[in-house]
Amino acid sequence: MHMADALLSPAVSAAMTVVSVGALGYSAVMLKKEEERGVPLGADDRKVPVMGVMGAFVFAAQMINFTIPATGSSGHIGGGILLAAMLGPHAAFLTLAAVLVIQCLFFADGGLMALGCNIFNMGFYACFAAYPLIFKPIMKLGLGAKNITAASVASVVAGLQLGAFSVVLETLASGVTELPFGTFLLLMMPIHLAIGAIEGVITAGVLCFVMNMRPELLDFSAPGGFGPRKAALSFGRTLMVLLTMAALIGGGLSLYASAYPDGLEWSIEKTAPSSELERTGGAYDTAAKIQESTAIMPDYEFKSAAGGDTGSSFAAAGTSAAGLAGGTMTLVLACAVGWIITMFRKNKREKDNAAA
Amino acid sequence: MRRPDSAFSAFKPERVSGLKALELMAEGDTVIHRVHTFVKLTATIVYVVVVISFGRYDIGGLLPYFLYPAILTPLSDTPWRAVWRRLLPALPFPLLGGVSNIIFDKAPMIMIGGVALTGGVISFASIMIKALLSVWAVLLLVATTGVSELSRQLSALGVPDAAIVQFNLTYRYLAVLADEARAMYESYILRSADIRGIRVRDMGAFVGTLLLRSIDRAERVYAAMKCRGFSGSYLAPAHGARGKIGAPDLLCLFAVCAAIIILRCLS
Repeated sequence: MHMADALLSPAVSAAMTVVSVGALGYSAVMLKKEEERGVPLGADDRKVPVMGVMGAFVFAAQMINFTIPATGSSGHIGGGILLAAMLGPHAAFLTLAAVLVIQCLFFADGGLMALGCNIFNMGFYACFAAYPLIFKPIMKLGLGAKNITAASVASVVAGLQLGAFSVVLETLASGVTELPFGTFLLLMMPIHLAIGAIEGVITAGVLCFVMNMRPELLDFSAPGGFGPRKAALSFGRTLMVLLTMAALIGGGLSLYASAYPDGLEWSIEKTAPSSELERTGGAYDTAAKIQESTAIMPDYEFKSAAGGDTGSSFAAAGTSAAGLAGGTMTLVLACAVGWIITMFRKNKREKDNAAA
Repeated sequence: MRRPDSAFSAFKPERVSGLKALELMAEGDTVIHRVHTFVKLTATIVYVVVVISFGRYDIGGLLPYFLYPAILTPLSDTPWRAVWRRLLPALPFPLLGGVSNIIFDKAPMIMIGGVALTGGVISFASIMIKALLSVWAVLLLVATTGVSELSRQLSALGVPDAAIVQFNLTYRYLAVLADEARAMYESYILRSADIRGIRVRDMGAFVGTLLLRSIDRAERVYAAMKCRGFSGSYLAPAHGARGKIGAPDLLCLFAVCAAIIILRCLS
């Protein structure tokens, strides 16, 4: 679910970066308040080292692939709800953000400009929507394996679905791909429903295990129940933040929705000139239409029909053969420069080695 | 390190062992390594923003941007193999998003040697080029800048200490906890016959044990840090030649950013 730079426009990435940085700042402030209030794990400055090692734990846990029964395939956990249940939502959000930054910088999972999107999609929904609005209310019914399982599965699934939906919205708002909204949604949602169900079960297993072994470590079984945390994590306050974020994103996205037509409309728009050209082919009309709908490359008929006016129509699309040729020449130049420097440095190294 | 035995195929520690290679690269001493971290960080961000700002059909404009990594990679002694290895895991998602363009956008756009390329093929190519360039640029940043150097720069830019400590601890403990997980995984596999990976019903106890071990370790880490005078800040104050940004560094930053932006305006 890691967004890549290549699928984003600078405007969407900037908007999501602002939102995520805002959420990070909010978490840091809330965490400080929690520490002052003296909640478990954060009774002193101990929380930061614990958070750091927990971040590394998420990495280690993600390396273990589990087999999905009856399918022969495998997956791994994401860890958002698990972290929230252990550390509380604010610390969990900061921990996940650090994990995502490291994944971006050192593992090429998600791009640098896509960090804002990824932190929001994978961290925000799990920590600030699914955990306080689904997980904690279910746990209020009582601590027990059944409630933990229900809460984990429901919140992990909800978090992943919201995240997957965001990926779709961000991609469409960027206008880089052609995927129609419905198709993209159909591709993303069911896959993440399956992943979420299994991750939910595993999260429940881990939390039940921790509850049996070291219940004091869990955020939701903190001494005094939900009392001391209620002020920091009140339903209304979380909802307010959520609504503000939604309004911000909604506003940002609607701006772009009007600038870029819907993906499907756009592709219809794009195919219109070509069908116009094909109409001149006359007898080939039907055959060409069938072929066009099945083939990735258009038929040769286009070549003869397009003939002379290729220049003007291509210039309108913002791409010309000349521009592409110029670009290709610079690519060749880049390769040559890269090769020459590599050779030069290799020779130098060999000389240095010989001298030494 | 991938084991030939299929029973171990579900555990993927090689991602973490790749970190060591990156650390070694970052310890190099080339002209690029010596450039101030602020310059590298800013140039990388400007470069990636400009690259992703190109329109979906503008391959001609994108191709000149290969010059940046093509020059920096050999100059920084970054092995080409490392670039390739880094790109592989990064490409599937753009590929997925890009393939749809080929399917949905079939309007012919450009003729090359009598073959008509559709808009979809061109926009697909531009997505893949953008993916390649953006991932490559970030690799060059981390392959020429150590983690502590990067942290120091982020701290100088005003990122709170807590976030820097979080970042550093997570990074430093990756390998330690991966080892812990590997030891547990090998024990599990050796105890159970004929299964690939861990059964879902055992995952709870397995990951839970890893979790408790991690927390115990965190407590020990914290105690050790306290003993050595940890006061909430992780980094020594910036010092030495790299601490302050010099005139040559600023000139370099200006030249690189100007080149990147002028090239964008020309296309």
